[in-house]
Amino acid sequence: MRPVAIIGTGQTQHARCRDDLSQPELVREACLAALHDADVPPSDVDAVLISNMELFEGRAMPELWVGEAAFAARKPCMKVATGGTSGTSGCIAGFHQVASGLFDVVLVVGFEKHSEGHTQTGMALTDPFWDRAVASGALGNFALSVSQYMAERGVTEQHAAEVAVKARRNASNNPHAHLQMPDLTTDAVLSSRMLAHPLRLLDMCPQSDGACAIVIACETEARRRCARPAWVKAAVTRHDQPYLGDLGNRLAEMRTLREAARVAYEKAGIQQPLRDLDVAEIYEPVTYAELAWYEALGFCTDGDAGRLIEEGVTTMQGELPVNPSGGVLSTNPVGASGVIRVAEAALQIHGRGGERQVDGVRTALATGYGVYAWADAIILGEALQ
Amino acid sequence: MSAAQHKRPRIGVAGLGETGPVAADPRSIPEMVLHAVEAALDDAKLSFDAVDAVVTASVDLFDGLTASNVAVTEVVGAVMKPETRIAADGQCAFAHAACQIWAGAYKTVLVVAHGKPSMVPHQALTAWAMDPIHVQPLGVDFLVCAGLVAQALAGRDADAVSRWARTAAARRCAAMRRGVAGACTSDEVLASPAVATPLTEQMCAPLADAACAVVLRRLDEGDETDTRVLIQGVGHDLDVHSLGDRDLTSWNGLGRAYERACAQADVSTPSAFGVFEPACLYPHEEDLFTDAIGLDAAHLRESGNHNAALFSPEGGLFAGATPVAAGLSRVIASVRRLREDPQLERALAHGTWGPAGQGQAVSILEATT
Repeated sequence: MRPVAIIGTGQTQHARCRDDLSQPELVREACLAALHDADVPPSDVDAVLISNMELFEGRAMPELWVGEAAFAARKPCMKVATGGTSGTSGCIAGFHQVASGLFDVVLVVGFEKHSEGHTQTGMALTDPFWDRAVASGALGNFALSVSQYMAERGVTEQHAAEVAVKARRNASNNPHAHLQMPDLTTDAVLSSRMLAHPLRLLDMCPQSDGACAIVIACETEARRRCARPAWVKAAVTRHDQPYLGDLGNRLAEMRTLREAARVAYEKAGIQQPLRDLDVAEIYEPVTYAELAWYEALGFCTDGDAGRLIEEGVTTMQGELPVNPSGGVLSTNPVGASGVIRVAEAALQIHGRGGERQVDGVRTALATGYGVYAWADAIILGEALQ
Repeated sequence: MSAAQHKRPRIGVAGLGETGPVAADPRSIPEMVLHAVEAALDDAKLSFDAVDAVVTASVDLFDGLTASNVAVTEVVGAVMKPETRIAADGQCAFAHAACQIWAGAYKTVLVVAHGKPSMVPHQALTAWAMDPIHVQPLGVDFLVCAGLVAQALAGRDADAVSRWARTAAARRCAAMRRGVAGACTSDEVLASPAVATPLTEQMCAPLADAACAVVLRRLDEGDETDTRVLIQGVGHDLDVHSLGDRDLTSWNGLGRAYERACAQADVSTPSAFGVFEPACLYPHEEDLFTDAIGLDAAHLRESGNHNAALFSPEGGLFAGATPVAAGLSRVIASVRRLREDPQLERALAHGTWGPAGQGQAVSILEATT
């Protein structure tokens, strides 16, 4: 495969409501930032990929409207949309388009403006025959699978609260993050409003307005334009059937993420993830999911996730910092959330993470999660070989 | 290594499957898609196990589903496999699948597109793809846009409307064998109710439900295959959105997409093609298509030159126009024609999406010798 690297990233200030900007303006802000970061003029972009979940804004094919803002006018452009994994899928599509030899420089931008739609209505538009009446929306689904996960693996509400605190404190180092809660405590998380047992308000991700873009380049362009490209070592996708009743052990097992990570590690030469990875940006829509992903991603054995968060292994000072950006728990414009994971992982390789930079990052993991069971795993490295 | 220097592997179109267009398919979307997928795998003599990855095309608002590929994940065989969903015309999914193989990511990729306009007020939904601030409030949908384009073209050619009526009648007749359109005369086309002046009802390709599937396979040295058709080039383009910012009398985006594909295929003239399968919803779009790629009518068999190229020999989208799947249906029609007629060497398949042809895509397909 032709080598591919991320040479620039850019994102907006994420917030509950960016009513100062239209959707195209939001997209433009992120794209401009990424192109500036990569030192690539818009005219040098060969193709554009856009990721967005159109029913969250109640639109059809929004790339038609926002394409110009993404510098896609008169260029090859298409939209990728796979639920929560839209952003990571868009990035992987960009990797493939550059690796194919068709294009040398591709811009990927994800966006969502939840404040202009009704997300829960969009989430409820699931299978009309079986799921819509009983299992629509994130909250109910997670409450069921989290309850099962807690029972099987022994994680506690306290463990989840520690994840919530870690995420929001990390976010306070990220000027783009939506939630800024530097003084959050586990007591505050545990006393926050119960939404659907065992999930409390502060266990959940927010709905954010925002956009994020990355610039992907072939080897020649990457070496010419970027002092420290983030090379794509592996990019793996696994989808699953979506029916709640047919995936009994959804959160605890998460077989798609396990398999995607296994294949990605193999491709990238990762033998012991906790040791071999320097940072991870994982898509955790709910606190308990982060714990479940520790197990699925091989950071620990099954049932040991609680210990990892108790011992601070995944904090900024720990062995493997997870989500220095604050993660999805702090910022969640769905169509952009996956792109943010990849951009933040690349940022760490680039060494441009500012207050959230982890020292000496050589290998970074980014993951995507969507439709309750889909997963992407991407590994970036500072060295091509 | 730059894009220009990159040597790509050969990709064969190994299998074709489709439901065929019908006005209102009584089956669910998954049932329709399964039919097309199984037919494509049978045609390719492959099982689900041989498929490395899937690229699907669907649009959430048209299907009334969030992440609408969830409806087909199982029937396309994507459980525990990589699936990418492109929310645009099926030609884009086809092009992206080719990219995945050229990238070396996979050997065999299944491409699937579907549309079921019978279950929704499709034309009304297209208004939701228009700029919601400046255009959508005016009640503009894709049909209105097509009417504006036709008006602009008719304004500079007094014979255009009667010529389009003859074209529509001819396409409807050609489509009789396969599709949902009924035959009619050009007088009947002109006499049918106006839908977006100067377009009349019979000038519009009829909406239809359909699912299409294509199997793409990298051809490695030593592979035993009876694949007869290769992908030589793909190109796509997104023009500006605002109608006021575009020359509505030309499909410049198609011209750019065509040039990109021709550069890959080392093709320099439309006379290199033996068959054209444009995705034209209205007869005036055939004018836009031929102008954009520089195709002279004298190169077409319809002109009386029996050695010239075929143009929508099965009536094109007048057999049934399926949103999202239309472009992939043109790929299937092109490959089928190349397989059936050994005299034909090369085909151009086309897809378009968005208002007034904002999105354009083409594929260049070539018969192996």
